[in-house]
Amino acid sequence: MKRDERGFVVAFVVFMLFVISMAAATGYALVASEFTLARYGGDGAEALTVARAGLERYVAEQLGTLTDTASYALGDGVAVVTARRLAKEDPVTALYYIRSEGTVHDVFSPNTSVRRVVGGYAVYRRRPLPRHAAVVIGAEAIHAESGGRIDGRDQSTLADCPGGAGSPIAGAIARLSVSEASDDDVRGDPESRIWPGGWAAIRDSIRIRWDVLSDPDFPLEFENRLPDFGSLPADSFPVVRYSGWVNASWSGRGVLIVDGVFDPTPSFSWDGIVLAGHADDHIQGHIDGMLIAGLDGPNMYSTVRVLTDVAYHSCAVDAANESLSYLELIPSSIHETN
Amino acid sequence: MVLGSLVIALVSHAFLVQNRLYTTQALRTDIQDNVRAATELVARDVRETALGGVMVAGPRTLTVRSPVAVAGVCFRQGSPDADVMSEGGAAALDADAIAGVAAWRDTAWVYRGVPWSALRGNDASSAANCAATGADTVGARESFYRLSDLNTLFPGGVRVGDVVMLFRETTLTIRASQLDSTALGLFRADYGRAAMEFATGVDTTARFQYRIGPDTYVDTVTASGLARVDAVRFVAGARRPPPTGAADPVTFGWTVNLALRNVR
Repeated sequence: MKRDERGFVVAFVVFMLFVISMAAATGYALVASEFTLARYGGDGAEALTVARAGLERYVAEQLGTLTDTASYALGDGVAVVTARRLAKEDPVTALYYIRSEGTVHDVFSPNTSVRRVVGGYAVYRRRPLPRHAAVVIGAEAIHAESGGRIDGRDQSTLADCPGGAGSPIAGAIARLSVSEASDDDVRGDPESRIWPGGWAAIRDSIRIRWDVLSDPDFPLEFENRLPDFGSLPADSFPVVRYSGWVNASWSGRGVLIVDGVFDPTPSFSWDGIVLAGHADDHIQGHIDGMLIAGLDGPNMYSTVRVLTDVAYHSCAVDAANESLSYLELIPSSIHETN
Repeated sequence: MVLGSLVIALVSHAFLVQNRLYTTQALRTDIQDNVRAATELVARDVRETALGGVMVAGPRTLTVRSPVAVAGVCFRQGSPDADVMSEGGAAALDADAIAGVAAWRDTAWVYRGVPWSALRGNDASSAANCAATGADTVGARESFYRLSDLNTLFPGGVRVGDVVMLFRETTLTIRASQLDSTALGLFRADYGRAAMEFATGVDTTARFQYRIGPDTYVDTVTASGLARVDAVRFVAGARRPPPTGAADPVTFGWTVNLALRNVR
């Protein structure tokens, strides 16, 4: 090889190395760019899912007074949900706009995040339980024993609450008959009513989400335990849920949900509303408010005998009913807003 | 010299093979891009379809209605207008895309085709009106606006607490490409606008199918069955002529199921 050709080879090799390096760098940039795009695309889809899930969870979990803002960690993201009231249709029905912002942070680039926003509309059902009667049981017969009393006349006074001393409601409602051991054991306006439509008619008339409230997966603060009523404000009527065969022998107030059989003892005392899947054949104790039972199907006992007092108390019922208020999502109203 | 010729022939052959491979690969990348883009755009339109929003369902044509915005009625004027709220208000709407308005009636949307110019109301007091009926307008006064003629468009009018949807109507069509006469193209058109081709080189196997039962897909759904459609299957395929020296065309395709997330 001649001395003056060596430089050409070196230059050629350097040039080829440069070309190969450029090709490699371009290839890497292309792949990296595709990878980033794909990742952002995936993050965007996840952010949308997070937003929708957050909205639906917010609506499903509301019970009682609405929370203005809620935040949920879902998957790799966070959903921040806010509610805005748009209109009051009447004192117990209002339309709300629910906004949910889903954000997914990319662990590889913490300074950037993907954000999607969805909105939807929901109707707020305040005090949803209609006041049909002091006692409503999906059993064939209700019988007020001697010494027992079912009273649909309002026991509260204006001193108890502004809406106290209200109009009377029916005393008792059963599927086929309501009877009493002696006159005046069942009182109200009317004393009793018969709903031959049976359990389905009774369940549909109640207008509460029994399937949700009795679902063990639906979170409640007080599950198979009572709150410390002494530490709660006097106007607080919490929702308490018990499961199974419940020999209730306690005192309290609020909404008592019995996902099973409600079997109160003589020492039971409750201010507010009792909702039960089934009622035992003997109801004892004292309820100032309302008793609704037989929500899981036709009551397991065809005749329920009331041995002590169930008396309608509008102030206690209203306060407990407030705790049952809920949001009902308007189907097909969820939409993406950004 | 013979050795040199042999080396040159080998190098030339290697070059040609590499070149063909490269060209094929480039074509493959190109049609994969096409299929991905087409799928993404179809999915975006289809997934947002509103309940009862499938208007035409054929193998090569799909027309759907989806929300531009969903608004809550918070104040009803005597007649015929109503004040409503949607996020961002009228200023945030893609007004040109609006093909009409729908009112929610218990279980279904009732659609009315009306241009935005006929719907848009002019009044600056919408927020104040709605506040008077219990709306929380703090920090969102611009989100309240007026819609005209709602009370004459729908039987019985609209009430406070009703929900209405301003919708777009999008038609997706697979037909002869305007850019490549030998191939099909995927076109998208909003109501009242010219169709735009956004994917070229679409294969003749490409089509839409419609789920009308748990495992039942059909190519065409008649008007009476449109309400049963709860998912659209997009059979996406693309094709390019064979590169120089190759015998077979380059093809790529896949099938995706797009659930109508608002239909349930």
